[in-house]
Amino acid sequence: MPSLLHLSAQQVRKGIKNGYFSAQEYISQILERIQKVDDKINAFITVDTDGALRQASLIDKKVRSGEKIGTLAGVAVSIKDNICTQGLKTTCASKLLEEYVPPYDATVVNKLKNSDAIIVGKSNLDEFAMGSTTEFSRYGPTFNPWNISYVVGGSSGGSAASVAALECTVSLGSDTGGSIRCPASFCSVVGLKPTYGRISRFGLISYANSLEQIGPIGKTVFDVRMVMNAIAGIDENDQTTIASAISSEEEEEEKHLQNNDKNKKNIRVGLIKELVEGSEPVISKCIYSAMDIFAKSGYKCEEISISSVEYALASYYTIAMAEASSNLARFDNIRYGFDFNPDGYEWNTYFAKVRSNFGDEVKRRIIIGSYVLSSGYYGKYYLKAQKVRAMLKHELKSLFNKYDILIAPTMPVLPFISGEKIKDPLKIYLIDIDTVIANLTGIPAISIPAGFSNGLPMGLQIMADEMQEQTLFNTALLFEKTANIKTEYPELC
Amino acid sequence: MTGMVLAKDDIKHLGWLSRIELTDNELEKFTSQIEEIIGYMNKLDTIPLFEMDEGQSGLEKKFCELRRDCANPFNCDTLNSSDNRKKEGFVKGPRMV
Repeated sequence: MPSLLHLSAQQVRKGIKNGYFSAQEYISQILERIQKVDDKINAFITVDTDGALRQASLIDKKVRSGEKIGTLAGVAVSIKDNICTQGLKTTCASKLLEEYVPPYDATVVNKLKNSDAIIVGKSNLDEFAMGSTTEFSRYGPTFNPWNISYVVGGSSGGSAASVAALECTVSLGSDTGGSIRCPASFCSVVGLKPTYGRISRFGLISYANSLEQIGPIGKTVFDVRMVMNAIAGIDENDQTTIASAISSEEEEEEKHLQNNDKNKKNIRVGLIKELVEGSEPVISKCIYSAMDIFAKSGYKCEEISISSVEYALASYYTIAMAEASSNLARFDNIRYGFDFNPDGYEWNTYFAKVRSNFGDEVKRRIIIGSYVLSSGYYGKYYLKAQKVRAMLKHELKSLFNKYDILIAPTMPVLPFISGEKIKDPLKIYLIDIDTVIANLTGIPAISIPAGFSNGLPMGLQIMADEMQEQTLFNTALLFEKTANIKTEYPELC
Repeated sequence: MTGMVLAKDDIKHLGWLSRIELTDNELEKFTSQIEEIIGYMNKLDTIPLFEMDEGQSGLEKKFCELRRDCANPFNCDTLNSSDNRKKEGFVKGPRMV
């Protein structure tokens, strides 16, 4: 049996459907790969070997009996460990939830299961999704599959690494300030933060509700689109969800691509000057080359400026930490938690004692969140941050009247050596400057591989107006086809 | 709190407000780190902000209907507290006073 690890989700489904290989053969190769390489990169917190094999056997049965199979039939998926999976531990990479086994599935997990996807395990993350390197995990850092001395990005580092290391075909992450796009860029895979409301957050353990979205990570733009279509839509358990209509049929995909060819002369691209100029020179050069590719393909390209970008990061961290301090107040170790006897403790002391088991980054963010919301400082920080957010939305709305898409680097820096910045949290925060805009304004943004420098990946970020994922996909597909970035994945063996 | 400059006592107080017990080492480390982070956030104070009506952001959405607000009964076994803290459908917690 030839290796099936490199196949895209689309190829896996086709292969299983047409009987070229069975779901069990494919899943066995995936599980074997995890066993072989995960010691080196630490992408998984939990691997569900039995569950995955059981599900694969059910899909093979369906195929044999001629039953209709789902749009992701047989595709191996890893799920970030802050998304609830019934009967499978969901730890948020935290001591506080180390034994938590959810009694229900998140809506996205339900939808994946209904699409016949196979969940192979739960992927590593920064504790409660707070971080940009996946170094703040109780289960140890995840390392970059392209060079294991380097950080993988975060907070969905396990998700991106598991795709890049061929331990699964696609993955689900969550993106609060770039947590899908950052590791996607650092691992040379595709990562999408959808429009706020396109995908249900029911079952995502909350960090900052007004900013975060669940989204897919995959090897190709097409795969990411397939997964998004499978998990998007209105959910009565999440009132912020919006109706979405992107066709998932393959013929429709072809039609979109043809239309894309016809319409590309009308596509207007704005390159965000501040973000390109603020990046490492090798990254700026890479993004200008990407603009050249679009220009040569017939897109109308211009450099543009966003004046409120300078304040976006301070606004983002103020809002995210304020929401974190409120959301994480629920972790009192009574309803769920680790074994710590309350005998002899008064309520508040017990509460403070068990919560001292949060990691450093979570503690810092909760404390700063309490500070910016406290009487006397609320107007100076939180209120101002919300006003900056409104200004940024207003500015982007005007830009999207003139441009169909905006482009920028996903990350202003190349992946750096593990541990290099861990003692300086502000330095880590600063690398989120290019990604937070999409979270503050709710627009969709995608990171796609744009090249390598000294063996380390770089990503191109494409943003579009709200609910314009179709434009994002069309542009990303064109870039993916034209730029032809290296697709040989790291061996790690 | 002392305003722009954060002292160890301020962080200790914030830790208590957040119900997080901090060790002396953590207080030492967090005080300088948090002061630096808050210093960065002070950037927000330097921009001229105009009053903006809600309608001006242009991103008003129609969200979907929320489910009916009705309780779903569940068994105390679905809670992940240790077995020796569960009794007759209840979970034992610390004393309130």
